[in-house]
Amino acid sequence: MNQGLRFTRDQNRKNLASWLLTTPALLWLLIFFLIPYLIVIIYSFLTPDIYDVNFEFSLDAYRQALGADYLKTFFLSFRLAVLTTLLCVLLGFPVAYYIARAKDKLKNTLLVFIIIPFWTNLIIRIFSWRIFLAYNGVLNDILIKAGVIGAPLEIMRTDLAVILVMVYVYLPYMILPLYSVLEKLDFTLLQAAMDLGANELKAFFRITLPLAAEGIFAGSLLVFIPALGAYLIPQLVGNQKSLYLGQVITYKIKNIPRNWPMASALSLILLFGVAVLLLLLFALYKRSKARRRV
Amino acid sequence: MKRINISQFYKGFNLTAFSLVMVFLYIPILILIIFSFNDAKIITGWRGFTTKYYLQLVENDAIKEAFRNTMLIAGLSTLISTIFGILTALGMENKRFSGRRIVSALIYIPLVIPDILMGVSLALLFNFTRVNTGMLTVLIAHITFCISYTVIVIQSRLEGFDYSLVEAAMDLGAKPATIFWKIKFPLMLPGIIAAALLAFTLSIDDFIITFFTSGRGFDTLPIYVEGTIRRGTITTINSLSTLMIGFTLFLVVITKRVRKVLISSL
Repeated sequence: MNQGLRFTRDQNRKNLASWLLTTPALLWLLIFFLIPYLIVIIYSFLTPDIYDVNFEFSLDAYRQALGADYLKTFFLSFRLAVLTTLLCVLLGFPVAYYIARAKDKLKNTLLVFIIIPFWTNLIIRIFSWRIFLAYNGVLNDILIKAGVIGAPLEIMRTDLAVILVMVYVYLPYMILPLYSVLEKLDFTLLQAAMDLGANELKAFFRITLPLAAEGIFAGSLLVFIPALGAYLIPQLVGNQKSLYLGQVITYKIKNIPRNWPMASALSLILLFGVAVLLLLLFALYKRSKARRRV
Repeated sequence: MKRINISQFYKGFNLTAFSLVMVFLYIPILILIIFSFNDAKIITGWRGFTTKYYLQLVENDAIKEAFRNTMLIAGLSTLISTIFGILTALGMENKRFSGRRIVSALIYIPLVIPDILMGVSLALLFNFTRVNTGMLTVLIAHITFCISYTVIVIQSRLEGFDYSLVEAAMDLGAKPATIFWKIKFPLMLPGIIAAALLAFTLSIDDFIITFFTSGRGFDTLPIYVEGTIRRGTITTINSLSTLMIGFTLFLVVITKRVRKVLISSL
């Protein structure tokens, strides 16, 4: 009895210590992460002013955001996110597989090669594609001098350029989680399957792919979600005729006349989309995990 | 016989894919470095060798100021978010902590939301509260997006912590403060360094959140570079970019220790 009491007192003291230690971060995130979203919600129901907002209730922002005007924007951003994720999986998988099956000494070196671009400043990498793809850029220069094409290709400022640079930037985000699951994969399973008569293709689809599903999920999240809100890449290599969601939101806040209620409504729709996606993926993941255990 | 052929095909396929992806990842960077020596004011083919844009870089006051701002923000936000990270990770060690779920949720949610939304929400917060945007608001924003990363990295290092060491020290009569500084902190240190490096890199690299929270007159390097590219004067950007790539290479390749920590932090 006495011992039990001391035990709970000790637990309480530890609990209090945990609260004290986590309070600084908790308060910080409350003030600078949660409360700002409340303001976004409030602003989405107000009316715009040239520089600011008027505190008059209105549903106009939602009516417009969900209307025909922004259908193309939502479609473009969704398509960009899907294509970028798919291409990253297709390109990233063989690379991750190759690194995971390399000799131990080589592995770290190969990983560093993947990580260097990843740690290089984003804007610089986007800028380098502008030099490469521009009308008077390096690619056209080389192709014309080699006699492959007569006139410069117009790749810069197209949706193709946007997808290309998106894949370039987000590929390491796919390769690293894929690598970490493939590295743990027991390759004797593949050998066993083939000894039992499965061919390589069958072994890949029945063993490697299901076991790598976790990495594909993680990588897809890391690519798909930021791609939905991409601003910088469409802004620097895309054209102003096809505006992506991130660009529209940014313009509504930065450009005059401002429309902060509109930016807020679009942001909340994006947030809602991400939440739905996450819940769906999570449910799917749980189900596949449960099925594997059976 | 046939099986061996397929097997070789797969190996060859993976190697080819790996090589192609390497070319894809590095060609733009190589081109950037080469063209920083190109004697041309606009984006164009090769026009001759020059180092004059590196000299212009040194004389450019706007770049120097942006560099100072970037380092100041990165240094301060790293320091503060790492302290938050250490405290939070220590608090979360207690598995029966009653606030565990709330803290976890607040730490993880920012990671799965597009960056731009944090930028928008902070921009609205500073507008609503009529705080003038500038250095302080950028610093607040950077600390906010770094906290999640520092907590998670430090926490993951604490998970494999060997408590028998602490118990042994307690049995030998060591005071809690001694135990912390002599045993726990040294063992936490690799995680703390990894967290700080991650925060520093994220801070230097950030464009979008800074874009929404910095006012006119407070530029970090990414903001300066983007503005310059948009205005079309690119001469110094090539050389500046090359120096920044050099900085990354220095961090990643030369310092082997840093490299190890970086890999394990991912």
